[in-house]
Amino acid sequence: MAADSVLKVIFELDGVFIHPGADEGGTDQDLLLSGSLRILEKDAEVLVEYRPLEDSVDPSNMLCAGQDSSSVVEWAQSPRDKSQSHQLLETQQSYETEWDMVNAVSFRKKPCANGEGSLSHSQGRSRWAFSVSVSDLRSITVKDEGWTFLILHLKEPSAPLPALHFHQGGSREFLDSLRRFSLLTESPGDQTCLLVSTPNKVLSQSFENLLDDNNFGLVHRFQRDPYVATLGGLSKVTNYIFDALRGAEEQQQRPPEEVADLLGEVIPGLEINQQEEPGFEVITRIDLGARPQVSRTEPLTADDWSKHLDAEGRLQGVEELRNKIFKGGLCHAVRKEAWKFLLGYFPWSSMSEERKSLQRAKTDEYFRMKLQWKSVSEEQERRNSRLRDYRSLIEKDVNRTDRTNRFYEGLNNPSLTLLHDILMTYCMYDFDLGYVQGMSDLLSPILFVMENEVDAFWCFVAFMDQMHQNFEEQMQGMKTQLLQLSTLLRLLDLAFWNYLESQESGYLYFCFRWLLIRFKRELNFQDVLRLWEVMWTGLPCQNFHLLVCCAILDSEKQKIMEENYGFNEILKHINELSMKLDIEEILQKAEGIFLQIRSCKDLPHSVSTILGFTDCHGSAPTKPGSAAALRPTRQDVCSNGLCRENRPPNSCRAEFTS
Amino acid sequence: MAAKKSTLKVILLGDGGVGKSSLMNRYVTNKFDAHLFHTIGVEFLNKELTVDGCKVTLQIWDTAGQERFRSLRTPFYRGSDCCLLTFSVDDNQSFLNLNNWKKEFIYYADIKEPEKFPFVVLGNKVDVTERQVSLEDARQWCQENGDYPYYETSAKDATNVAVAFEEAVHRVLAMDDKTDYLIPTDTVKLHRKPRSANICCS
Ligand SMILES: Nc1nc2c(ncn2[C@@H]2O[C@H](COP(=O)(O)OP(=O)(O)O)[C@@H](O)[C@H]2O)c(=O)[nH]1
Ligand SMILES: [Mg+2]
Repeated sequence: MAADSVLKVIFELDGVFIHPGADEGGTDQDLLLSGSLRILEKDAEVLVEYRPLEDSVDPSNMLCAGQDSSSVVEWAQSPRDKSQSHQLLETQQSYETEWDMVNAVSFRKKPCANGEGSLSHSQGRSRWAFSVSVSDLRSITVKDEGWTFLILHLKEPSAPLPALHFHQGGSREFLDSLRRFSLLTESPGDQTCLLVSTPNKVLSQSFENLLDDNNFGLVHRFQRDPYVATLGGLSKVTNYIFDALRGAEEQQQRPPEEVADLLGEVIPGLEINQQEEPGFEVITRIDLGARPQVSRTEPLTADDWSKHLDAEGRLQGVEELRNKIFKGGLCHAVRKEAWKFLLGYFPWSSMSEERKSLQRAKTDEYFRMKLQWKSVSEEQERRNSRLRDYRSLIEKDVNRTDRTNRFYEGLNNPSLTLLHDILMTYCMYDFDLGYVQGMSDLLSPILFVMENEVDAFWCFVAFMDQMHQNFEEQMQGMKTQLLQLSTLLRLLDLAFWNYLESQESGYLYFCFRWLLIRFKRELNFQDVLRLWEVMWTGLPCQNFHLLVCCAILDSEKQKIMEENYGFNEILKHINELSMKLDIEEILQKAEGIFLQIRSCKDLPHSVSTILGFTDCHGSAPTKPGSAAALRPTRQDVCSNGLCRENRPPNSCRAEFTS
Repeated sequence: MAAKKSTLKVILLGDGGVGKSSLMNRYVTNKFDAHLFHTIGVEFLNKELTVDGCKVTLQIWDTAGQERFRSLRTPFYRGSDCCLLTFSVDDNQSFLNLNNWKKEFIYYADIKEPEKFPFVVLGNKVDVTERQVSLEDARQWCQENGDYPYYETSAKDATNVAVAFEEAVHRVLAMDDKTDYLIPTDTVKLHRKPRSANICCS
């Protein structure tokens, strides 16, 4: 309430650059201006404001930073020169065993091309400052050239705003903050374009006030959607009556409610702006048709696979191949080869010679990184608590990962050493992330299939590219997925979602383990292999794993509702499903759900976005065989639908350089 | 009249790998599984008990210890009746971290009077021969921090496990006798009929 007419800084980031020369189409690409970017709230209006640094920095002394030493690029160079500078750096690195490379941001001096520094006085600078209201934004272009830059477009035609270059990262955080006040959706025709729409201002305003009040439980529910909050409230009443009829021996206790409210704080509820119109639920409830029956096929055999290889070892008919894998999975004998393609370690279009040289290069790279931690002395490690912590956690977890599997059983099993070494090397590969619990679960099946340290490492890197956000500091990936799942479930089964909501479980916390490690602990080992290869095809839509969640929940809802499970019981019941699930049944159902949603005419935009339906809906139900047409382009979209910023340049999806 | 049911929520906290999950499993199923996975997320098991002739359901909560998961772990601290602070006698760091665990618990469980809250300390893995934490040091820490009961346990060979959990139950019931220690979840007391003497039975 005190927020009225007070200026509130929602987001602030220094070190956002503009390139005045480039923006004016001039040839002087060396000019760059550092400044700060803010999101402000002022008199019930949300503004995006950019101000160049006032105290002038001589542009010839400007430093630019890369995310890690291996991505240091003198970005004034043209993109074509980048590969060269990479190569240069790689040779340098081989002489360095300095391992803490990610931690130390490396700076390079930009070569001075224009000694005058024509923008060094503040008059020149201030003309680049701007301030726009979020509600005036039409769209945002998001581009990546080794760093991310954004261009804001206004609804009203006007002089273009300068592109904002996030040389020091932070663009995602900026967009995330913006999402609190507006709905950002990928433009159907252009993946680099986010369309901005703003919800009812009054609503978002009062919601901000609620936040100020620290009244979390209320905010939590209101934040989700006032409409649903009411509905949920209603179903709570129904449940009360239900309780009364049953003889209320299992009355709701307060502790679970409090736990739930706190969780709701951590996993901010479904935001108002995730839904375009309050009538959303009614519409979707009417329109979702019958769920088609789906059959699955036999796994792809080694024979089938080799039929797709031409004389030079290039794969033919990739879409068909991918479809077959989606429909039936792989025979175990094919996995070692096929997974490398599915994960993107090998490009689908590569010839076997190219793959061999890629593997050679990747082997060198792997061992260079492995040497880095191997050569850290005890003395050094004593002074490096992060490395020490990673190592100790890895040692403990390796001993607690799939130990009943033949491949990992027994004392002193060499496979355990491999698990350990690959995870340690991954810490060198991505020291910021390091090791987070759950990663050993993701690696174990990959190592089991690859039976090779280097290949397993790079396949794991590729998988982690998809899963990275789950493990990051703020667990943003987990929060996003829980919200997306909640949105899908509301579309599919509003009654069930309302029941969960009435039991304080509407944010689906109980799916945490499913999502964190992609059902690794829920299924037996062989079924995990099957599920993962099916998911890695990227078919039939983005975020298919969320439909897998929906399929499992669909099978459990009757039990949950009939037994009138509360918060604790739901959590317990879901935890205890582990190892009791039938993968083929789940995949059938999940694909059925996909087809069902796909054929829905009035699909809410939020749902289309989650599943990556970029073409207009209303098309006839897609035949399972033609699902490939819907596939989002793989390299741009992680399986959770989010683009990862600052992908390390030596990610295994890089092009061949040989 | 049927016997009154009452639920006690007990939470195991401590560094990863000290044996929290193993202790819970040993107590509830009386088994030790050397191949147990490390915990992801939050789990709990129930154990039915009879205390002083009364039926009590002990709800034991177990979490993943890594710092990264803190925000998704701490909400579950709410409403705990007792906290079992756990370390491993062969890992000095886990002992040093007890203090942090205690603080984290008090903060997130929103304990109003920490001095009165029942903590029990477990030094696990006493079957291991290379100890890093001595019995004396552990006892001293417990004494200095609020005179907590201390048990040296082994989930592996079942030493002291049941005793420790039962101590937790007794502590909680004894607290009820002294009445109003104010954890915020006062309504839970409603059906956990205050006094341990008359909690039970018809
Ligand atoms: N020797 C011994 N090992 C134990 C004992 N309790 C647990 N462990 C082992 O210690 C490791 C960690 O146990 P776990 O229960 O997963 O620890 P948590 O992370 O605290 O849940 C596992 O390898 C267990 O087998 C014990 O009492 N004695
Ligand atoms: Mg555990």
